[in-house]
Amino acid sequence: MIRRRSWLVAPAAFAAVLAMVAAGCGGSSSSSSGNNSSTASSGSSSSGKTFANFRLAYDTGIDYLDPALSYTVEGWGIMWNVYLPLLGYKHVNGPDGATIVPYLAQDLPKVTNGGKTYTMTLRSGLKYSDGTPVKASDFKSSIVRDFKVDSPGVGFFGGIVGSDNAKSGDISGITTDDKTGKITINLTSPQGDFENILATTFAALVPPNSPDKDMSSKPLPSTGPYMIKSYKANKQAIVVRNPNFDVSMFDGNVPKGNPDRMTIDILGDPGVALQRVINGQDDYDFQQPPPDRLSSIQSKYANQIKVYTPANTYYFFMNNKVPPFDNLKARQAVEYAIDRTALVRVYGGLGQPTENILPPTYPSYKKHDLYPFNLAKAKQLVAASGDKGMSVTVWNHDRGNDPKATAYLVDQLNKIGFKAKEKIINSAVYWTTVGNQATKAQIGFADWFQDYPHPLDWFDVLLNGDRITQTHNNNYANFDDSTVNAQIESLKKQPSLTSSVNADWAKLDNTVMQQAPWAPFMNRQFIDFFNSDIDLSCYVQHVLYQFDFATICHK
Amino acid sequence: MVQQATESEFTLDTAAELAAAERGGAPIVGRSPWFLAWRRLRRNKISLAFFVLFIVILVACLLAPVYAHHVAHTGQNTNHILDTVKVNGKTTPVTSNGGYLNKQGKPCQTTDTDCKLVAVLPIAPTWFNAGGKFVLGADANGRDIAVRMLYGGLVSLRVGIISSAICVFFAVLLALLAGYFGGWIDFIITRFFDLFYAFPVVLLGIALGAALAIKGISWGPIHLASGDVWIPTLVISYVLIPYVGRPLRGQVLSLREKEFIEAAIAQGASPLRIMFSELLPNIMSSVLVFFTLIIANNIVLEAALSFLGAGVQPPTPSWGTLISDGQTLIVTRPWLSLAPGIAIVLTVLSLNVFGDGLRDALDPRAKVRVEH
Repeated sequence: MIRRRSWLVAPAAFAAVLAMVAAGCGGSSSSSSGNNSSTASSGSSSSGKTFANFRLAYDTGIDYLDPALSYTVEGWGIMWNVYLPLLGYKHVNGPDGATIVPYLAQDLPKVTNGGKTYTMTLRSGLKYSDGTPVKASDFKSSIVRDFKVDSPGVGFFGGIVGSDNAKSGDISGITTDDKTGKITINLTSPQGDFENILATTFAALVPPNSPDKDMSSKPLPSTGPYMIKSYKANKQAIVVRNPNFDVSMFDGNVPKGNPDRMTIDILGDPGVALQRVINGQDDYDFQQPPPDRLSSIQSKYANQIKVYTPANTYYFFMNNKVPPFDNLKARQAVEYAIDRTALVRVYGGLGQPTENILPPTYPSYKKHDLYPFNLAKAKQLVAASGDKGMSVTVWNHDRGNDPKATAYLVDQLNKIGFKAKEKIINSAVYWTTVGNQATKAQIGFADWFQDYPHPLDWFDVLLNGDRITQTHNNNYANFDDSTVNAQIESLKKQPSLTSSVNADWAKLDNTVMQQAPWAPFMNRQFIDFFNSDIDLSCYVQHVLYQFDFATICHK
Repeated sequence: MVQQATESEFTLDTAAELAAAERGGAPIVGRSPWFLAWRRLRRNKISLAFFVLFIVILVACLLAPVYAHHVAHTGQNTNHILDTVKVNGKTTPVTSNGGYLNKQGKPCQTTDTDCKLVAVLPIAPTWFNAGGKFVLGADANGRDIAVRMLYGGLVSLRVGIISSAICVFFAVLLALLAGYFGGWIDFIITRFFDLFYAFPVVLLGIALGAALAIKGISWGPIHLASGDVWIPTLVISYVLIPYVGRPLRGQVLSLREKEFIEAAIAQGASPLRIMFSELLPNIMSSVLVFFTLIIANNIVLEAALSFLGAGVQPPTPSWGTLISDGQTLIVTRPWLSLAPGIAIVLTVLSLNVFGDGLRDALDPRAKVRVEH
């Protein structure tokens, strides 16, 4: 299972709308009434029940444990409680979890100069886990480091004055005063989503002498309640308490955390992960149980299960710059060729078929039915495209049920006249490989999980042609339609999601899908499974970060 | 009546004629070593039985396309996720409905009440109760396991046999060169063998297989795409060359000192002629035994590499990839992994028993075996 995190791009004034969105849609993150579903209570997430060790049966999806480089749910899920940015999100259930609060900053930023200047002050007395004092200038050096290590998050900071020269070691738009802790950020133009950007892990502070390279295996000192003690790729990560973290300094915005230690066992096999939790060798199964085991889990361990639906879309991207998918007819043929219900069943039936870009939890979602399953029509379109018999390589990684979806797609592509084959590569390198233009990936699997409920998080990051990059490209389809780009830019300026703005987003969803850059197929449901020692009254299903490891407690 | 020969005229043929005369005139026919070996092999009924078993498996796999099209009516990679099939007249889904469902079997939202998790299960073996469809059941994609088993066998056997042929060819060549010439040629070749000995076979296979499975091979005129079955074939043949070459080199070194080689050298025979006309026939029995045994070895190695993702690439089935595919359903549908596992066991057993029989037949004193 790849669970991919998207960028946080939102208007700052959007906080109030978040509650409306999440509550209005009955999204999974706010679910309450199902016997297995996550709770909706939004009270304090930390019960103060500390315990020695929380053991997680993790999957192999950790890309990095370096805040500048990680861009997966697996990486961020761990680092959320380790590397703190100036701003962050409340550690609570439900829509409240999308509320931005000050973390390392004393207060939310003061926005002046027509929305182009953000001013904050660093909390005083902060220390890294190694005892080094945290300085205001560390923010600047951390952002510069993002550029130097070619972070996938640098696109966030492109609006800061002088960001073009950031790789050379300076970014003139950020000024800091270590004595007063004052941090001033100047933007080239107003950017309503900048607070959300400051709340990303990419904006987390690390010491100024941090090497400009991946430091996953030699974890950097942290500012959060925890620090990464060790990380051995594909084996284990150990997270322990940060001895220099003082919870009283954070006004309740950052929890102290209940486990003294988190042992993250990285396991390749979902069946093994499940069995370890059943046997009591681990406390939590991050992986999804094998589909054939659902009934037995339900009958034996119903009280240890949480079912939830984070806002997500599973899809196949089709590279608009590479034949045969530079041809609209070929792309549309793929849309008609896949039976989305069949694909949902490949995932154990845990999901809803979709052909929309946005997930149904959005007010902007308006279900469209452009491509009902029609193999005959798909064959006609391939024949009409002139691409019949062309070789097509379908890319995917090697984890969870995703390769089975690829096997289905390959079969369908062969049925409609392509000469398709699979290319399954290691999940650790999959996203960087297909996100590199040199790979020229024709078609492949992808998924996207919201960081907060806003359509920009989908269209701007994933489908805006102006944001296509040579490496770390998130627009795997290389979809670049000037009309769509202009529409995204126009909607980006809207301060709130009114019904008319939502209608515009829904229309854009339809417009984009008529160009068929993706073949979306599912909004997936997930299961969190715990062993019987865990007290699920402490369970926090965060709207952005999903299950919060730090706030769980033992019975 | 055979005339008594003088001492100078006496030959082995004469002796045979004399012996025949003593037995009443029936001539004694000369027997070649191959004939004698065949006679010994023929008496080894167990070996022959296992050889027949291997042939049966081979023929069954060769008939995979026939079975797929005329019995199972599907392809090796054809998905039947939402299809149904009649088992004993009863309509049965190839993969059952599942997920987070309400009492009516409809999908639930996370917020819905009174919903339960229900497993998605592929159809169990129908054992010919569905008109030849899904005889061994289906996998999670609704693919017919029996069909994939046969096609997978074809791939596994192909990889096993061809990689063995390539491996033995190069091993013999290097053994002849090293053993005959000795000196610095022997030094270089034996160091090459030592280099490979330094790595466990499976680890070396994984390293090479994984690297080439991603990038493919592009050496001069040779271009192999990343998923090509030739890649595991070449990898397997490559990593096992020293394990065959080294014992053969020992035999050549020993033969090199024999009188008949010295005689050939004295007669002015070229090194090439000595190697291929004098030495090769004398190690041929070992080569044949090695070839048989290493096929079995390579089938297991292919299965191991494919299971670990460094061998045959999906969706191409092989017995190794089928075991891997069935792994996620091992609790509820163990047959998915057991069936290809049993096929590997039977094939390897048949080849090993036959190989042992062949060794006994060709040279009962030989101690040829594949060790690594």
